[in-house]
Amino acid sequence: MARIELKDVSHSFEIAEGKEKLEWAVKDMNIVWEDGTANALLGPSGCGKTTMLNIVSGLLTPSKGKVYIDGKDVTELSTRERHIAQVFQFPVIYDSMNVYNNLAFPLVNMKLPKLKIKEKVRKIAKILGLIDYLDTPTSKLNSAEKQKISLGRGIVRDDTLAILLDEPLTVIDPKMRGKLRRQLKIIQRELNITAIYVTHDQHEALTFADKVAVVKAGRLVQIGSPHELYSNPESPFVGYFIGSPGMNILDAKLKGQTLSLNGFKIELSKSITDKIGIENSECQLGIRPEEIITNREKTTGTIPFEVAIIENMGSYKILTLVRKNGSDRNLRIKTRVDIITSYFKGDMVYLEFPEEYLKIFKDNHKIY
Amino acid sequence: MGIRIKNVNKSFGKHLVLDNISLEFKDGDFVSFLAPTGSGKTTLLRVIAGLEKPDKGQGRVFYDDVDVTNISVRERNIAMVYQDFINYPSMTVYENIASPLKVSKNKMSAKEIDKKVREVAELLSLSDMLKHYPSETSGGQQQRIAIARALVKDTKYIFLDEPLANLDYKLREELRGQLKETFSYNKKGIIIYATADPLDALILSSHVGFLHHGKILQYDILDKIYNYPQYIEVASYFSNPTMNFLEVNLVKENNDYFLKVTEEIKIKVDNKLKDKLNKKEYLLGIRAQAIRPNRQTKNDIIIKGLVELVEVVGSDTELHFKYEDFPLLGLSQKIENYQIGNTIDIFIDPSKFYIFDKDTKELVCRMEGEK
Repeated sequence: MARIELKDVSHSFEIAEGKEKLEWAVKDMNIVWEDGTANALLGPSGCGKTTMLNIVSGLLTPSKGKVYIDGKDVTELSTRERHIAQVFQFPVIYDSMNVYNNLAFPLVNMKLPKLKIKEKVRKIAKILGLIDYLDTPTSKLNSAEKQKISLGRGIVRDDTLAILLDEPLTVIDPKMRGKLRRQLKIIQRELNITAIYVTHDQHEALTFADKVAVVKAGRLVQIGSPHELYSNPESPFVGYFIGSPGMNILDAKLKGQTLSLNGFKIELSKSITDKIGIENSECQLGIRPEEIITNREKTTGTIPFEVAIIENMGSYKILTLVRKNGSDRNLRIKTRVDIITSYFKGDMVYLEFPEEYLKIFKDNHKIY
Repeated sequence: MGIRIKNVNKSFGKHLVLDNISLEFKDGDFVSFLAPTGSGKTTLLRVIAGLEKPDKGQGRVFYDDVDVTNISVRERNIAMVYQDFINYPSMTVYENIASPLKVSKNKMSAKEIDKKVREVAELLSLSDMLKHYPSETSGGQQQRIAIARALVKDTKYIFLDEPLANLDYKLREELRGQLKETFSYNKKGIIIYATADPLDALILSSHVGFLHHGKILQYDILDKIYNYPQYIEVASYFSNPTMNFLEVNLVKENNDYFLKVTEEIKIKVDNKLKDKLNKKEYLLGIRAQAIRPNRQTKNDIIIKGLVELVEVVGSDTELHFKYEDFPLLGLSQKIENYQIGNTIDIFIDPSKFYIFDKDTKELVCRMEGEK
């Protein structure tokens, strides 16, 4: 079991090419993954997350910085020497062998006694839910079962310290994806093994991991529990990326205690503006659709909007709202409303923005 | 006016994919065929569009009461969007969107084409991308280009085959809303949409058909099929997340009838429903939305749930927990921390129960009766 740490890690693929002005695939990365935890690296394609994983596994030596496992510098060690197992997008198994022999293979290579191998394989097969399939040729299995075998081959060895999963559900039939996702989570908990799961899919990351690192353009944007990322995003990017629909991010201007948005104003309490400490500034207001209060009737202090799109989500509706007269096509706000009330395109609604939920960002960072 | 299909069969070799399907759609309908992979929804879409012919025999397809069964897809004036974004890689976004107009039989002037392309691009938020090549755009934009090419032709009937399936969740969410808005302007034609995603069907459709083993198990307006799914298969699939099912017994105590889950949970049956219930055993269907970690109504049943797994889905939290030996799935409409292994109070709204016949798998009634 292992605590994994990246310290000041940067990587450029261009150093080898001798270019002077370098593009960094990963830049100034400092992360600690604690022993026995489930973690995710979440970010859009090309953000550098697979490069990070390769640095952790030892497939890649970083241009700068160190990798530590349990406090020991492993930067120069190979994958094998780091005792890290990997699961890739495509199941890596021997199609000509049955399930038992696939799972036993790494142990046979270690020349363990037969009885010991049998005991270990049965134990892992039980955890994976494959105990009844040990004699089955792997060619007869579906993609989810095959992927479980790739995982099993990694964790069957006693000396495996951590497991890295690189988009492991990509080739799994959509029908089985949810089930396998849940099983991976349960297996991780059962084995209490440090796991890092790389994905561009928020759903997979937030479900699997206790701690999610959001990565964008080679940089760590924010790391935290799903709840922390949702309720306390440090940037508009995380606010929008986490949650469905994402946080509303609206351009604003702060002057004194007044937040001026396109065509309407919100007065902030002094306690907030004191905390912000900036008198006069361009900024962005962030608020989640489920935090805005949507009224059918006009009351003092509410802000009128026109309903543009109504999406029925089964137990609630999502309204997309525009300012009247369509003066600014880009100013759109989404709100979550109850399922019972009827809304039609063109209806007027009146919004309240409860102060307790307001987030204020400046230059892509949260200032309140 | 609209589309009508009658007694359509379709087989591939010995395999019967569509089994005697008859349906009717009116202008203005947004129809979704909802089903898991391999249930025949794409085939049904293709048969209606004219990309496949029904098996020889009685099967007929009518557009505006004209039999088009043997008319080729090219002469039908329809548009089609596929799951894979099919665009011309060597053409710009503008040229891609304009391409269907350039090959069209009714020649349009360059000026007319330009006006149309820009209109559609605006509708799908592609105005800033027109000079780019498809490879320079994101997956969501590529699919929007493909949709723009379908819309630009102004055809009366548009067919979409799982257009969001290959997009990740954030792009799906964005494009779904955009489709909803785009098609709200198109009230004179019919949109037919095949999907495996219950949320697509729920958000976009006016009507939904659920396919099961090549048959239409239920076809109804959205409200009806979602709130009154006639079969367990429909209820289970057309729920997001999937519906919970519990075996219950109908018991009589004094003069009242109860549905008994356990000794602790007995739900009194309203007098009005008593006549409908004449068997001993039923299946109780409960959507996850009616099972929550906080109180919903004053009649809520409160149970103790052992949290087994917590999944964050969008802005909701799905709670997999055990009540005694029953695995149940509940939902919190927030993102919250729940410790796995903890026992928490769970609130269930009994008015939201569905009662299904165990043998026929048909809906008997809803606990709150008919609305």
